[in-house]
Amino acid sequence: MKPKVREWCLRLWGTFKNRDAEVEEELRFHLEMAEQDALRRGASDREARLRTGQPAQAADSLRDQWTIGWLRDLFADTRYGARILGRSPLFTAAAIGSLALGIGANTAIFSLMDALLMRFLPVHNPSELVELTLVEQGRRVNSFSYPPIAALAAQKDIFSGVAGCTTYSFDFTSGAETMRLPGAWVTGEFYRMLGVEPFAGRLIAPRDDRPGATPVAVLSYAYWRSRFAGDFGVIGRTIQIENQPVLVIGISPRGFDGAIVGSTANLTLPLGVLPQLFPERSRMLDATAQWMRVLARPRTGVSTAQAKARLGVVWPRIAPLATTPRMNRSRRDALLNSSIDLMPGGSGFSDLRSQFRRPLGVLLAITALVLLIACANFANLLLARGTTRVREIALRFAIGASRARVIRQLLTESVLLSAAGAALGLLFAGIAGRSLLAVLSTGGFNPIALDLRPDARVLLFTTMIALSTGILFGLVPALRATATGPAAALKGGSGIAPRTRTRLLPALVVSQVALSLTLLIGAGLFVRTFQNLLERDPGFRSEGVLLVEVDARPAGFKGSRLTKFYEQILNSFRQIPGVISASVSVYTPLNGGDWSDSVAINGQMTSESVHLNLTGPHYFETLGTPLVLGRDFGEADRAGAPYTAIVNEAFVRKYLPDGHPLGQQIAIAFPARATLEVVGVVKSTVAQSLREEAPPFLYLSYFQFEEQITSSTFEIRAQGRLATTAAVVHDQLRARFAGTSAQTREQTLTEQVARTLVQERTLATLGGAFGVLALILAAVGLYGLLAYLVARSTNEIGIRMALGAQRGELLALVLKGALRLLAFGVAMGVPVAWIATRWIGAMLFGLRGTDPAITALAAALLAATALAAALIPALRAARVDPLTALRYE
Amino acid sequence: MPNEAKANVFQGTLDLMVLRTLATLGPLHGYAIAARIGQVSSGAIQLNMGTLYPGLQRLEQQGFVRARWDRTENNRRARFYSITAAGRRRLDAQKAEWTRMAGIIQAMFAEGA
Repeated sequence: MKPKVREWCLRLWGTFKNRDAEVEEELRFHLEMAEQDALRRGASDREARLRTGQPAQAADSLRDQWTIGWLRDLFADTRYGARILGRSPLFTAAAIGSLALGIGANTAIFSLMDALLMRFLPVHNPSELVELTLVEQGRRVNSFSYPPIAALAAQKDIFSGVAGCTTYSFDFTSGAETMRLPGAWVTGEFYRMLGVEPFAGRLIAPRDDRPGATPVAVLSYAYWRSRFAGDFGVIGRTIQIENQPVLVIGISPRGFDGAIVGSTANLTLPLGVLPQLFPERSRMLDATAQWMRVLARPRTGVSTAQAKARLGVVWPRIAPLATTPRMNRSRRDALLNSSIDLMPGGSGFSDLRSQFRRPLGVLLAITALVLLIACANFANLLLARGTTRVREIALRFAIGASRARVIRQLLTESVLLSAAGAALGLLFAGIAGRSLLAVLSTGGFNPIALDLRPDARVLLFTTMIALSTGILFGLVPALRATATGPAAALKGGSGIAPRTRTRLLPALVVSQVALSLTLLIGAGLFVRTFQNLLERDPGFRSEGVLLVEVDARPAGFKGSRLTKFYEQILNSFRQIPGVISASVSVYTPLNGGDWSDSVAINGQMTSESVHLNLTGPHYFETLGTPLVLGRDFGEADRAGAPYTAIVNEAFVRKYLPDGHPLGQQIAIAFPARATLEVVGVVKSTVAQSLREEAPPFLYLSYFQFEEQITSSTFEIRAQGRLATTAAVVHDQLRARFAGTSAQTREQTLTEQVARTLVQERTLATLGGAFGVLALILAAVGLYGLLAYLVARSTNEIGIRMALGAQRGELLALVLKGALRLLAFGVAMGVPVAWIATRWIGAMLFGLRGTDPAITALAAALLAATALAAALIPALRAARVDPLTALRYE
Repeated sequence: MPNEAKANVFQGTLDLMVLRTLATLGPLHGYAIAARIGQVSSGAIQLNMGTLYPGLQRLEQQGFVRARWDRTENNRRARFYSITAAGRRRLDAQKAEWTRMAGIIQAMFAEGA
């Protein structure tokens, strides 16, 4: 080791190791020797002293060489600070607790943002990766079909690798047990492009992604550990996926769960073998199925702009691959004239991002406010404490400490507190993270899987918050506490703080009140928005309706046999005890799917496309959508009978405003060229979102368009618990589909509706929770201030009482003080909140940011809490015994 | 005079003198080192404790000297310093450097005269 390095290492070690006793002995020996020498030589003691120097100064220089000075001071300050803090546990707990709540809330939301939006995939050089998107007529589309991906991958002068991937659920059969596993389809270059190395075995290569290749699968590390107990023997073994043999070739590295953030791919398969696993779905590999996300790595030295420019030349030649002759004209033209755009792709893809980016931004802002309130509490506590420590500080001045040294000591204490708060906050965040994911996952089919363990970025974030909180909010109290300086040392011998009239403390409490009010108003708006959406009449009654999605094609049903089979299922559902009515359709409200097209009304094409659905008899009755005019589809409306249609009121308003909708002729081009006669009008229902106006709808008879039916959804309205009905349905379907890979899924309509409200629910739940947190923190702040003021004025109160003041008057005096602070806070908070809510205006529903009822409610809640917090110190003031108070002097 | 001398004893020179003393006389306690340097310099250099001990400490931390408690001939407990192998290498290197520097300075004065 280099001598200098060795020296500093030892000094670091020495900083924490006291050798004063040793030094003292060595120096004493030196002095004695010098004295003996001087005696021998006849020189005076004084001369010997002069030669040897002062032992105290020598010991100081020696200590400076033995240790790292500033670190030693820091260490000593920390130890001293910890001891001082330990002596006032209530203050310490209040300060640390406040900060822990604030920092914890921030960290929790930030780690969620980090995991969802910022974290890079655990792959080679993730920042190089780009995501390819298709721009069709100015609209950005994230999904590609399979054929053009290989053509893009062949552009070796632009990309070193291009790969597509998409999530998928696979049936995995082991013994008698079949389970659905979250998985992914990828194209051959996926792992090579990402630069992911296998944990064991090998990963999917381009040769596996070919029609007719042996079907292979890669297991994720986590799944391999949990399901196969980390047995390497599984590599090379054949497992049953979708009742087909699939060879396990390897295990992906630990921590890599695929490129789709928020979902875990336990199993990954190459797309090329899809037709072997799902013969009936081979069309998913042609250009009609746009379902792949595409990631690429530009060649070294090719910038994003260059890659984009070269793609501009190349893509028009590749684009025809993205079309098929079967597509209609406009669709083909849109694809042929499309272009490619590149976006940063290093953090993978997630549909959750677009869904949660804005709510998370709002939540981070909310938690930042919570932190500010917590910091105000912290500063408040420190300020109040500073005035009670006047004597101690004066003493330090008296023994020669400089102001800077005392400030450093005080800052060390506040940073110590904030660091402890941050540590506890991290713990809170860890616990809260799990509940956050639960809130976010509500109503989803697959729970959202995100790794919320704090990474370097989160830790840095929290550390920065803690440090800046400790220094920023500790500095002002420290400056104030030392403002009197050494001059005033020990002057105020009475033990009562010098009466510096401070406006800082009340100002902090006023801003706390204002911030809390802003938060409460925000939370109220989100809660109310959520309620408004839930209470909104969507045009159907979701309670008591079970939805059963069935795709019987994998079981070998096709064409009219398929619809026959669905009809059989429907009839068997109607027999289940408790079922009131049942029907079948292609789409259900808010299911995320959509089908719309232009139609011709009495020869006139509609300006915009209308929503279409295929519904069976009793559909409207089952969903609770009232029939306004005419009749529902009946058993007679099937193939061969005259075509019939039902429209909704929105359709009538927009396209048939003259009245008499019944009997009107509507021509459609798709699914079949046909002219339909309107036989009924139903109430309008929402289609995509509870926020939208119910759009014009045209319903076709399900059994009249047999050739269009693929998968279907059954609606069952039943009495009693839906779970019971769902279980019966599940058993029936299992029996019917035993040994096939037909897919079914049961859920309630209420769940389906709830899923569209995930954002709103998240904001309402978390916004509300943070609002309550802010309320508590503000109440603690107000209580702290008043308690401190009352304690400090015990004397004055005693005098007032001695002079004849009534207890009631004193109570009123303190409460009046609290009310004044509250009034100031509210007066400041309302305009701030109203300005701030402009930013969230688009996220609200059924009310505006300046909603007076919400504002009044928030203010009332705040006032009630604040007065409750003020009552305790007020009562204490009223209970002051004048004799004790005066004797105190 | 002592104060001036102290100021002139800068770090490298002190190191060199201490190492040289220990290399010639073997293990010594701090006072003996100071006394020896005073004697050799004919009293020109009087090391006070605040210079000597931090210097020894630094040499010890850098691994050039080693210290341990032992008994003097009068059976008093004292801290004895001895030079290490690294210290000897250091001494040799510094000695060579010093000679070279002294030669250069001397040549310069010779030229000027």
